Amino acid sequence: MGTGGELAAVVGVGMTKFSATRGDVSMPGLVREAAQRALEDAGMQWDDIDAVVMGKAPDFFEGVMMPEIFLSEALGCVGKPMLRVHTAGSVGGSTALVAASLVHSGVHKRVLTVAWEKQSESNAMWALSLKQPFQVSINAGAGGYFSPIIRQYMEATQAPELIGCMVAFKDRQHALLNPYAHLHQPDLTFDQVVESPMLWEPIRYSETCPSSDGAAAMVIVNEEEADKAENPAWIHAGAMRSEANNFPGRDEVNPLASRECAEDLWNQAGITNPREEIDVVEMYVPFSWYEPMWLESLGFCERGDGWKLVESGATHIEGGDLPVNCSGGVLSSNPIGASGMIRFAEAALQVRGMAGDHQVEGARKAMGHAYGGGAQYFAMWVVGKDKPIA
Amino acid sequence: MESHERLSAPLVLEYPFTRTTGPVIGAFLTGLREKIVLGIKRKDGSVLVPPTEYDPETSEGLTDMVEVDQTGEVITWTWVQEPRDQSPWDSPHALAMIKLDGADTPLLHAVLVDNPESLKTGTRVRIKWREKTEGHIKDIEGFLPMEGDDD
Repeated sequence: MGTGGELAAVVGVGMTKFSATRGDVSMPGLVREAAQRALEDAGMQWDDIDAVVMGKAPDFFEGVMMPEIFLSEALGCVGKPMLRVHTAGSVGGSTALVAASLVHSGVHKRVLTVAWEKQSESNAMWALSLKQPFQVSINAGAGGYFSPIIRQYMEATQAPELIGCMVAFKDRQHALLNPYAHLHQPDLTFDQVVESPMLWEPIRYSETCPSSDGAAAMVIVNEEEADKAENPAWIHAGAMRSEANNFPGRDEVNPLASRECAEDLWNQAGITNPREEIDVVEMYVPFSWYEPMWLESLGFCERGDGWKLVESGATHIEGGDLPVNCSGGVLSSNPIGASGMIRFAEAALQVRGMAGDHQVEGARKAMGHAYGGGAQYFAMWVVGKDKPIA
Repeated sequence: MESHERLSAPLVLEYPFTRTTGPVIGAFLTGLREKIVLGIKRKDGSVLVPPTEYDPETSEGLTDMVEVDQTGEVITWTWVQEPRDQSPWDSPHALAMIKLDGADTPLLHAVLVDNPESLKTGTRVRIKWREKTEGHIKDIEGFLPMEGDDD
């Protein structure tokens, strides 16, 4: 899928404060909060929106099978088309891309897209560990699934043992610059990260994402509408890829679908050197080691060199030339269904110059990235301060 | 290949999910605990019972909660002669859409009568509360016909 057709841009971004429990709001109230903020940012009313595209993580995560049934009023969908997207943890990203495609295609002018999760009302660990007949169940959630893949990366690249801790500590420092982030740990030290309990060896507790409630929303519009906006984030490229969870010869550390998705993305955006041309990245990193792994897979460096970027400080907002997850990332806020959209929305905020204390000065091109399932669904976009060159 | 037995295995998934009610449904349920029924007023003055957080037509946020009467009218109904195991009611009853006085939309609940001949569309009914209430729709045990008596 390419962007093709009409130009499209983000003119409104809204997020809730992310926290362990949003006991003050129902699910409709939670999505409404983010959507209302996105509309206000766009200077629009509910009536201005032509269609709504929503996404959330798999149904078992909250026992909500048909959110579209009870969210239509809260999201202003009455009398309009409404769609729901499913792609596991990457859903926030693919939901944004489906919304964008409705604009690129010329079908709609102004589309609201929303993604959310209310983890406090559910148990993702349970939902990720469901027993299946005739299969061995390790009952270990996502961390148990990804830990051997991470070890494979560490052994293949001979990365120093504490690279993952560096990523986790960096993202928690970045989170202090983002008032919406769930984890604010001003007193956290690097040593505390290193000394935190081993949860799924080699993944420590502090190297994992929290369990959050929250929602994110964006208003995506066509060129005519975006030209009226003060600071639109133009969509330069959008790509999605999928692959099977398990097949002989699968490269689980660097999945083929990830590499091909990135290649398609850079081609669409006319980018030949991502490291040089991208100013800031919001990457889906639920376990710390995925930062160096995805840096390699996405082509920001040669294979085997991702950990060196981390070690050099290149991905830190202070002094780094390729800041990654300035918002604090998934490691600091993880309302699963929304996490991908937060990445996409944060990329848009950066090129709009609206990222507040975690703004990268002068950011003109940003990447938003999400993955899901057993690292088998990928969604990515590039947004820019300038209109894409035809 | 003598056997044609097909392998199958049970798959039971169960998890106790929770739900946050939010300010509007929360107030409605708290009202039931106090044995009052709260609806929510829309911009045009009409009242939704049960209340919703957002206007079902315009999507505006709704906040103006108002108490409605404990009497109303059966709008339509169906007869349940043999309640199944999961039914909240053990005896034969009617499932009815009941518009409470002061409300503009009907509420689904039971009318507790012995036979369908005791009920017709338009019958006036009143709430029968449970003795102990806890903030749940079942705090209303059901509705009883008013049989000509005033409230």
